[in-house]
Amino acid sequence: MSWRPSALNVSFVTLAGWALFLGVLTGRADLVIVAVPLVVALLIGRRAGATPTLRVDHTVSSDRVLEDERLTVTVTIRADGPAPLVELLEPLPSRVTVERGSAHAFFTLRAGEEVRWEFALRCRGRQRLRLGGPHCRLWGPLGLATAEARYRVTQTVAVYPHLAPLRHPPRPVRTQTYVGHHVSAAQGEGIEPGDIRPFAPGDQVRHVNWRATLRHGTLHVTRHHRERNADVVLLLDTLSEVGPPGASVVDVAARGAADLAAAYLARKDRVGLIEYGGQLRWVKPGSGRAQFQRLLDTLLDASVVFTYVTRDLDLVPPRILPPQALVVALSPLLDARFVRAATDLAARGADLVVVAVSPAPAAQAALPPSPVVDLAARLWTLERRAELDGHRRRGLTIVEWDGVGPLEVALAALRWPRLRRALAR
Amino acid sequence: MMRLAAAVLVLVVVSFPVSVLPGPPVTWLAVLGGVVGGAGAVLLSVTLVTVGASVALIAYALALLIARPVDADPLAATGFGAALVVVLVLVHFAARADGAALGPAVLATQLRQWLATIAVGVLAAAGLAMAGALLGAVLAGTSLPVVVAAAALGALLTVAGLIALTTRQDPPNPT
Repeated sequence: MSWRPSALNVSFVTLAGWALFLGVLTGRADLVIVAVPLVVALLIGRRAGATPTLRVDHTVSSDRVLEDERLTVTVTIRADGPAPLVELLEPLPSRVTVERGSAHAFFTLRAGEEVRWEFALRCRGRQRLRLGGPHCRLWGPLGLATAEARYRVTQTVAVYPHLAPLRHPPRPVRTQTYVGHHVSAAQGEGIEPGDIRPFAPGDQVRHVNWRATLRHGTLHVTRHHRERNADVVLLLDTLSEVGPPGASVVDVAARGAADLAAAYLARKDRVGLIEYGGQLRWVKPGSGRAQFQRLLDTLLDASVVFTYVTRDLDLVPPRILPPQALVVALSPLLDARFVRAATDLAARGADLVVVAVSPAPAAQAALPPSPVVDLAARLWTLERRAELDGHRRRGLTIVEWDGVGPLEVALAALRWPRLRRALAR
Repeated sequence: MMRLAAAVLVLVVVSFPVSVLPGPPVTWLAVLGGVVGGAGAVLLSVTLVTVGASVALIAYALALLIARPVDADPLAATGFGAALVVVLVLVHFAARADGAALGPAVLATQLRQWLATIAVGVLAAAGLAMAGALLGAVLAGTSLPVVVAAAALGALLTVAGLIALTTRQDPPNPT
């Protein structure tokens, strides 16, 4: 770091110059005396001495937070020499607000003194928050000299979508072979009672249905439905985006996908993810906490990448999109390429549910409120309803979600597969 | 709070020319300087405050020119210069620190620095006033054009020296 003059010098020189010029012009000693304190201040201001070496330590309270969670940044500064005025400024991205303290601070440090500076941030919207470390500026006497440095400590904080509990996500029509929470059509060991049949050697006595036995006069046993898990693939549309950063339809869809992933993984289902956009990215179906973390990390990076290329879902390997899987598509249904892909998928017999994220509230959030915007949003909503009805007639099961209310309410109509089929008709 | 202090200081600065000659056109210029400087104090703009102070300085020169007091008033002139220094550093600091967190000793350290500078400035002004009085006695018989030329040269050299001083960059610190 080295000292350089600040802009304040210009003001001092200007006023001193004026005073001296006017003093000579008018021949008055008073004006020359006026210039003396200004000249003395300029001389003192340039006697800044050697710049002290600052040691800056920058830490964050966590490297993973949820949306709207508080993140505390702690900066510790230590100077090897006296620093009369140290200015620190942490540059923040646009979707981060300071909740407590300030990201801009001034300190006075004695030689060897250590100062701790803390402030809390609130992160709006999913993002990978990159904090690059504070800008540091030393001010000489009277602010007439300054020395600057940037302490680079790249710290990335993953801000995951806020999770809302989903108690009743859409039930899959088909189940898999592993034990889970879904009642399978297949008979075997389970809790849900199924058929009643005559007793056969090997049947357990605890399965005997005494009421049927008394009625028929011979031993009858109750069979049960197996409880199995399911494969769920979340299909995220990143072909189009409407709304401000952090509250766009892709952000809303990513939030919904995170809710669904958490709900299905809690039911021991295997959950995968396909990001259908300019980049076709996927996560193989899996279960457990590690899989949830993988899904969240992929959702964090989901963004619109512009392309003219149309990629078909045929490109996706069957292990990523199993034929028996329940596919939950989250899309604003604004891009015809996604609508075509979803229609093809449904036509091939896939168990598909489309959560149509309404773009109208996101578009409204991006515009200044006015009656014209409200009217346009209402008209757009009506137009979209007609479009969605057309998609439903083509065999898609669609529920509309405005992204403002809970996803649970939007999905209530899809709770049972039978209702879902009725809805598709 | 800092805005209020800066506004009060701007008022003090513009009151100096009015105290020399309380009448037009000095009052008009002082009011103009006050309005511009006041706007600078409210907006925490060093540029506006500098413009306002320059106008006040011109008003002061005009007041001295019109009123033509017999003797110079070094006390008032020193006060005027000190007020100019304080208003500039205060607005500059307030503009930087606006909305920022201030450490416990920051304000006290700054105030100490400012007061020390003012004290040195006052002493230097007193020294210059005394030296001027002595020089005046010595150069009593010198013709006016020579004195004016010497004063102009001195002023020119001072301003040039100040510009050279303030634009000089220190070599980078090896640490």
